[in-house]
Amino acid sequence: MFSLVGLPDTAVREAKERVRAAISSAGFRFPYRRITVNLAPADIPKMGSAYDLPIALGVLAAAGEIEPAASGVVALGELALDGTIRSVRGGLGAAITGRAEGLPCLLPATSAAEASLVGGADVRGVRSLAHAVAVALGEDPGIRPSPVRAAVVTEHRADLAEVRGQSAARRALEIAAAGGHHLLFHGPPGCGKTLMARCLPGILPTLTDDERLDVARAWSAAGRRLAAGDHPPFRSPHHSATVAALVGGGSGVPVPGEMTLAHHGVLFLDEIGEFPAHLLNTLRQPIEAGEVHIARKGVSVTFPCDVQLVGATNLCPCGHHEDGSGRCKCSPGAIERYRRRLSGPLVDRFDMRVSVARVEADDLLGPGGEASESVTGRVASARQIQRDRGCLNRNLGRGALDCLPWESAAADLLRSALDRLDLTARGWDRVRKVARTIADLGGDEVVGEAHVAEALAFRGRL
Amino acid sequence: MSRADRLRLAFAGLHPDRTRGLLDSYGSAGRVCRAIGAGTVDVPAYARQAAVAPVDALVEILGRVGVAAVYREDDEFPDHLAELPDSADLLFVRGTLPTTPMVAVVGTRRCSRYGRALAGSYGRAIAASGWPVVSGLARGIDGAAHRGVVDGGGVGVAVLGCGPDIIYPREHRQLHDDLIARGGAVVTEYPPGTPPHGWRFPPRNRIISGLSAAVVIVEAAETGGALVTATMALSHARVVMAVPGDIDRPTSKGCNLLICDGALPVLDPADLVEALSFVPGLPPPEAGPSGHVDPVMAAVGSTGSTLEELTIALALPIHEVAAAVTRLEIAGLVRWEGEVITVSR
Repeated sequence: MFSLVGLPDTAVREAKERVRAAISSAGFRFPYRRITVNLAPADIPKMGSAYDLPIALGVLAAAGEIEPAASGVVALGELALDGTIRSVRGGLGAAITGRAEGLPCLLPATSAAEASLVGGADVRGVRSLAHAVAVALGEDPGIRPSPVRAAVVTEHRADLAEVRGQSAARRALEIAAAGGHHLLFHGPPGCGKTLMARCLPGILPTLTDDERLDVARAWSAAGRRLAAGDHPPFRSPHHSATVAALVGGGSGVPVPGEMTLAHHGVLFLDEIGEFPAHLLNTLRQPIEAGEVHIARKGVSVTFPCDVQLVGATNLCPCGHHEDGSGRCKCSPGAIERYRRRLSGPLVDRFDMRVSVARVEADDLLGPGGEASESVTGRVASARQIQRDRGCLNRNLGRGALDCLPWESAAADLLRSALDRLDLTARGWDRVRKVARTIADLGGDEVVGEAHVAEALAFRGRL
Repeated sequence: MSRADRLRLAFAGLHPDRTRGLLDSYGSAGRVCRAIGAGTVDVPAYARQAAVAPVDALVEILGRVGVAAVYREDDEFPDHLAELPDSADLLFVRGTLPTTPMVAVVGTRRCSRYGRALAGSYGRAIAASGWPVVSGLARGIDGAAHRGVVDGGGVGVAVLGCGPDIIYPREHRQLHDDLIARGGAVVTEYPPGTPPHGWRFPPRNRIISGLSAAVVIVEAAETGGALVTATMALSHARVVMAVPGDIDRPTSKGCNLLICDGALPVLDPADLVEALSFVPGLPPPEAGPSGHVDPVMAAVGSTGSTLEELTIALALPIHEVAAAVTRLEIAGLVRWEGEVITVSR
């Protein structure tokens, strides 16, 4: 008689069979008496196969097969029938718990690698149930996890040196990188919008230790191996993605979506006009709040998504509207519909917008621009100023903006901008944030008139 | 004629034609006032009260509302107005009234958005050329022209159809204050406290015409104040210019008819400035800092440019170009059309 209580799902219920077989295969005796495994707290649903290893260790300790001391560990892992341990997601969370409790953490070798990101955690990789018992008893040191290698994701990265011309788009990209501002690129097809966006990760500063841990946690929750190492993640979902893929969800335990995978990094929506309107609307609130809440029957989770949103779009379905080529054959109605889709509430969320012009032949053959490496230096020092002030300029609230020092001419310009330009209250705050970043890039303590004027030129309009 | 009696007569606030008629009949302001006081001339009670009031009381009212009375023979009174037979005998002035000939920009109150924008850019262009601009502070074209002048840093004069202490329409209070603050003036021949009666407006149009060397009608219906001003201008031998419009639009009919009758058609602001530079009485246009063409404006050109194109054309750093574009946009000189920066008209 072997029963599992504490709201197990099917996968957890099946642990009984795996645990029984694995214990036998590992050379231990499975106790023949009534066994009740209580997964506490009893009112939270338990899902997945990661409980196999802890259940097996618990059963063995309770049956007196091994020293009770062996249960003083944090363990996660799925057992095969022959006793070997398979990888599971959530290793990072286990390591964080282990560190907090001061307990060693037994994890499948692959999960151990990501868990080793948690500084100070005693993470030991284990191969099989027998190995796990040995490690838990201190008879074996376990497999030392090799730290996650910073695999460079080449297809996402581009260097600004490859970009010819485009001084306006370059400048906008630098400001956006420095303040973490949401940026919308638009222009005709083939002008380099996507290339510019892919240059962004290369000029962002590397993640701090805390940020790296946050990112690793998010990726671990999604059961993904972190690929970018020290660099901010760059996610570029296709416009055919589902809501669940973008914001998170799925059946059972909600899994983080692309927004959370882009936490502390960049969420790039290429051809943003092709994304269905309901998808764009779903993104609005999480982007504003920096986190996404997913409520399911009985489960409610919150995933972080402090992302920098970068969009790229044409101005009409064929993309040649107003590009000077006269090739656009879209009807005015189609252009209007396309614009309306963009000018919906999402585009209002972009702090900056800039057009990327078609590159002239001379520019194309000419020398490339300033390389990413030298831009990164300016971005990093602007970020340092922001860190000293408290937060990234993107996340400055209205109160904080009001308290910042503004030159009187800058305040006058802002006031006349409110009067004369079609600026909403939200748009006004966005301009002030961007102006603050421009001042930070210049190392100026007080925001001046020129900073505000430049921020206004890059403001979102549609 | 004593200045005290002339002040009393002005304070009576009669219709200007009637005042002139009475002066012709009685010979002097003193005699007119005495006739009013004696009841020989039938006038409203407020007029009789003013005609016999002690002059100190009237001067005190002027002091209280911050208005100066400028007599026809005074140095502060523009000569080109004073020499007209139907000139006002004295003007109530708040601010500084330029004594050189001005350019009048007038039009209908019920104007189109196009007309309003045009009036603004004309106002700015004339102001930039150094000529003072006179108009009527009314809604519509007048207000837009005044606003253009103020924004262009020029001197503007508003001629009111009510007392100098009354702002009509009320939404032009800021404009009124701006005009005075920028070295212009608000003038009227009606005494303090005079409400804006409908019949008082056509006579004030002759002051607008009288103060100017050229009158530009931006939008006008077939009947209305703007055409009254045009008629006055013809009788004052002023140059009349009109902006052509759609032939079937009611608010352009007046202008189109004026052009048929020989008024000078004007096109864009540059064309207007060029035409005005040939008007007798106006000094040559200033090519001062406000008059010279901004290099960024020149680079924007008539067909518009993107930010990127401007940066290349001006060979300036992008942050300077972006800031310059915003300043021009705030000044209403350029606007964004999608990605293209264009000169706004």
